[in-house]
Amino acid sequence: MADETSTQVTGELTITLNGTQVDARKGELLIAAAERHGVYIPHFCYHPRMRPVGMCRMCIVEVDTGRGPTLQPSCMLECAEGMVVDTESDVTSKAQDGILEFLLINHPLDCPVCDKGGECPLQDQTMAYGPGESRFVESKRHHEKPIPISDLVLLDRERCILCDRCTRFAKEVAGDPLIHFINRGNHTEVNTFPDEPFASYFSGNTVQICPVGALTATPYRFKARPWDLEQVESTCQTCSVGCRVAVQSSRNEVLRYVGVDSDPVNWGWLCDKGRFAFESVNGDERLGEPLVRTGGELRPARWSEAIASAAEVLQSTLTAHGPEAIGVIGGARLTNEAAYAWAKLAKGVLGTDNVDAQLGDGLPAEVVLGLPSATIDEVCAPGGTVIVLGPDTKEELPVLFLRLRHAVLNDGVRLIEIAPTATGLSAIATASLIHHPGETAEVARALVGQPGLGTDAGGVNSAALEVARAAIAAGGPVRVVLGRASVAESVSWTVEAASILSSIPDTSFLMALRRGNVRGAIDLGLSPGLLPGRVTLDGGRANLSGLWPTVPATPGMDTTAMLTAAAEGHLRTLVLVGADPLADFPDRDLARRALAGVETIIATDTYLTGSSSLAGVVLPAAGFAEVSGTTTNLEGRVSVLSQRVTPPGTARSDWAIASDLARALGVDLGFASVEDILTEISSAAPSHAGLADALASSSDTDGVVVPLSGPTPADALLSFTVPTSDALLPRHSYSLRLVVGRKLYDEGTAVHHSPAMTNLPVGGALRLNRYDFDRLGVAEGDLVRVIAPALTIEAPVVVDPAVPRGSAGAWFNQDGLCAADLIDITAPLTVLQVESLNGQGAGS
Amino acid sequence: MGYLRGFAVTFRQIFQRPVTTPYLIGKGPKAPKPERLHGRHVLNRYEDGMEKCIGCELCAGVCPARCIYVRGADNPPTDPVSPGERYGYVYEINYLRCIHCDLCVEACPTEAITETKLFEFSFTSRADAIYTKDELLVDEAGMPKHLPWEDWRPGEEEFTSGWVRATAPAGDASYEGRVGWSGELGFGVRAPEGDQESRDASGSAGRAS
Ligand code: SF4
Ligand code: SF4
Ligand code: SF4
Ligand code: SF4
Ligand code: FES
Repeated sequence: MADETSTQVTGELTITLNGTQVDARKGELLIAAAERHGVYIPHFCYHPRMRPVGMCRMCIVEVDTGRGPTLQPSCMLECAEGMVVDTESDVTSKAQDGILEFLLINHPLDCPVCDKGGECPLQDQTMAYGPGESRFVESKRHHEKPIPISDLVLLDRERCILCDRCTRFAKEVAGDPLIHFINRGNHTEVNTFPDEPFASYFSGNTVQICPVGALTATPYRFKARPWDLEQVESTCQTCSVGCRVAVQSSRNEVLRYVGVDSDPVNWGWLCDKGRFAFESVNGDERLGEPLVRTGGELRPARWSEAIASAAEVLQSTLTAHGPEAIGVIGGARLTNEAAYAWAKLAKGVLGTDNVDAQLGDGLPAEVVLGLPSATIDEVCAPGGTVIVLGPDTKEELPVLFLRLRHAVLNDGVRLIEIAPTATGLSAIATASLIHHPGETAEVARALVGQPGLGTDAGGVNSAALEVARAAIAAGGPVRVVLGRASVAESVSWTVEAASILSSIPDTSFLMALRRGNVRGAIDLGLSPGLLPGRVTLDGGRANLSGLWPTVPATPGMDTTAMLTAAAEGHLRTLVLVGADPLADFPDRDLARRALAGVETIIATDTYLTGSSSLAGVVLPAAGFAEVSGTTTNLEGRVSVLSQRVTPPGTARSDWAIASDLARALGVDLGFASVEDILTEISSAAPSHAGLADALASSSDTDGVVVPLSGPTPADALLSFTVPTSDALLPRHSYSLRLVVGRKLYDEGTAVHHSPAMTNLPVGGALRLNRYDFDRLGVAEGDLVRVIAPALTIEAPVVVDPAVPRGSAGAWFNQDGLCAADLIDITAPLTVLQVESLNGQGAGS
Repeated sequence: MGYLRGFAVTFRQIFQRPVTTPYLIGKGPKAPKPERLHGRHVLNRYEDGMEKCIGCELCAGVCPARCIYVRGADNPPTDPVSPGERYGYVYEINYLRCIHCDLCVEACPTEAITETKLFEFSFTSRADAIYTKDELLVDEAGMPKHLPWEDWRPGEEEFTSGWVRATAPAGDASYEGRVGWSGELGFGVRAPEGDQESRDASGSAGRAS
């Protein structure tokens, strides 16, 4: 693979590699050029996704650049015209032999108890290139055996060969330089700063790239040996970035995910949440049998019974109140095939259009499908400008953050951030426009407006705006990463801002929606008013005639509207497809009233959640690694998901559940397998035309971006209207505008049911700027009275410099202070007052 | 009529002395066991009582019959089961599959798994055939567990020894006559096998005295 990290690779030249003339590119490293031509040069420290450092000297080969052959490290040497390289000469072999003997001087050789044993580059290369025996009989260097450097990673310094891969990763790639070499010479070791753990969201990657077993991950430690593991390649569904992973299992239990280098997506990296969420696949509390409520309690039931009673509920609701009395929420956890099957069941069989895969925390589907789209590669392409108008990518879309970070630091991409609080990208942004909550559109307007006006907008000063305008004016395409920065404010401002930004010439958008396959769910019709293939009800009706029994006549409700209707008693039956509104809907009070207001809830889920435990029928679903199919990431890239293990108990895949429910309602969905569904998608969904063939014939596993016919022509985009934004109340010195974002580790299923991660959520607290905090006269972590429009609660308060003056931050779905309790979804913006418990108000 | 020639072979052999040795002659003593007989396994301990197995799964990896199931776990720091970080947390051998090839013994880096000369066991259920760690592990004195379906008699402690290693390291002849491993294998310590010459001279090769 070409070196992606540093210099531009241009021009052709010819070198002699082991006697054959081969081509190389100008600026290409010798080790990479050799690899491209099938000559493997052993190495430890070189990694194609990081800058070379020449630490280990293992890649030494004999090179003649005209002054006679010399030994040179091939990872530090750029190819030059006429270079003569011999990777197999006696001199090279002797050098390799010697390097390995040196590397092993202090190596403890505890291969039998080392997690890397069996897949260890040091073992392999010693076998292939090393000496049979060591001449060193002196005692080895000793260190305390594994020391924790974070909650997830252990370090065994005895095994470390000082290759600088982990430390380089932490500094260069992740931007968390928390591990370093310390001491000198024979005492050099990798370590953290005292009392400062390697708390990086990406620490698991260092375990994967460590060429020895010096770094081990607690969730996998001693669970298996490499030769026990069987693996398939799949796509992570923990968030919508869709990183490629190898799912490895032993004895029908998933034991590890390993990042796969997918050039357009994750470059081999994974975030720790995605990497270690495998534990939740095996959780003890997984639902393994259907539950039916009898006598007020959920009791285990047979599938036939559960399906029959769910169908009966649906049928009687249909007969008595019509399809509009049924709502279906969820679907972002599903595969594309299951999403299509559920869309067909809900819209084509039940005939309701009250279907929404998003839980009031995303963007309207018409906006997602109505703006020209950009891929991750297009966003990160050198020379452009990226506007991030959305969530903190480091927290919500971690590997997208890595790609953006790389683009800014290495490829000269100019990054403008429009956000209500500082984020993980602020430090490297060209312009970080931190604005007052609810004034996003003002900032967007000022950004596209005339330069030199010298006025502030939305709390952002004119100088920063000027820098941002200059960045856009510097030329190149403009790519917008669009999402919800805060769920405590109406989405209308975000939509308005997006439509303002779309007026900049050559602008396209990457939708920073959060949940796993939310994009696939939207594409395949799990959204009100839409049908599979990114078309409206009217636009798609003709397509589906003959395939679907019926198609809803008029657009239905989204999740917020459904829950409101449910709370008012207008919705009789609610189907939750892997959704937990009590935990995930921004307004918990409304969710609670809605779930209490419907007659029956039917839930399919992998775990019993707060919402599904209120259901009348709970159907256990097979989850990640237990089903095969395809998934769509945030750029619209469809890639293959693979099954590696069997689901617990009698849990079944979601498409089969939809099929069974339809059959019980007297309709045959017409699917016998996942392939059947994919074939139907390829013909029924206009945007997915030809998908099945494209996936089958694609030579790599990177997946394909739909629609396949190149960039969407502007006229095929859905139209959306910019909602009229609600007028904002003027800012008062005594009120704080609430900003609610998410942390990577929250109380969601993936973290909650993965023992290694359960301690990682930060916990909820109200976060204030130092200025607002000081006015309260309390200490860090003290309880304060938080007065929201709907309720008053007590919550801990902390200082957070990322939060600007006049705003208050709260994380979503954390213990301690749950932001969803404070939010009133009907208000355009949640405004709080905070008082210290000894009677002092903030500024009052 | 060609088949008659076949019968002739059979007929001729009827009058030969059988080369097979009767194992139990009537109800009498058992026949002597060959010195290198491969019987059921034991999991050994160090003299201080620590388990030797470190749960490395090398035995499971090498086993051609795939009959070993091992899982390692972190040694509890306060009460370690074996020296080092890792110990064998699950250890099972399925004797319905084991072919007693001893490759597991060869693979083990700590001499934790060895084979005894105990082979008289007949079980009537699948569960009994799968020896668990508890059943394989020797007691503090190095004596294997006597399971109800195993036939061993007083005086046969000698056969519980794991001293069965047939080959010297990498088949190196210069190791002959030397104990290539530690001296406290199984129950009791035994002198090493004599070298080839002395064995040939005494004509005792292959037979325990
Ligand atoms: S811990 Fe591993 S990756 Fe880090 S320097 Fe040591 S050997 Fe390299
Ligand atoms: S960034 Fe998202 S897709 Fe990638 S590993 Fe993390 S959770 Fe999975
Ligand atoms: S003796 Fe051979 S077959 Fe039996 S457990 Fe050992 S390796 Fe496997
Ligand atoms: S018996 Fe030996 S080879 Fe097998 S797991 Fe234990 S230590 Fe490893
Ligand atoms: S790989 Fe070149 S010096 Fe390490």
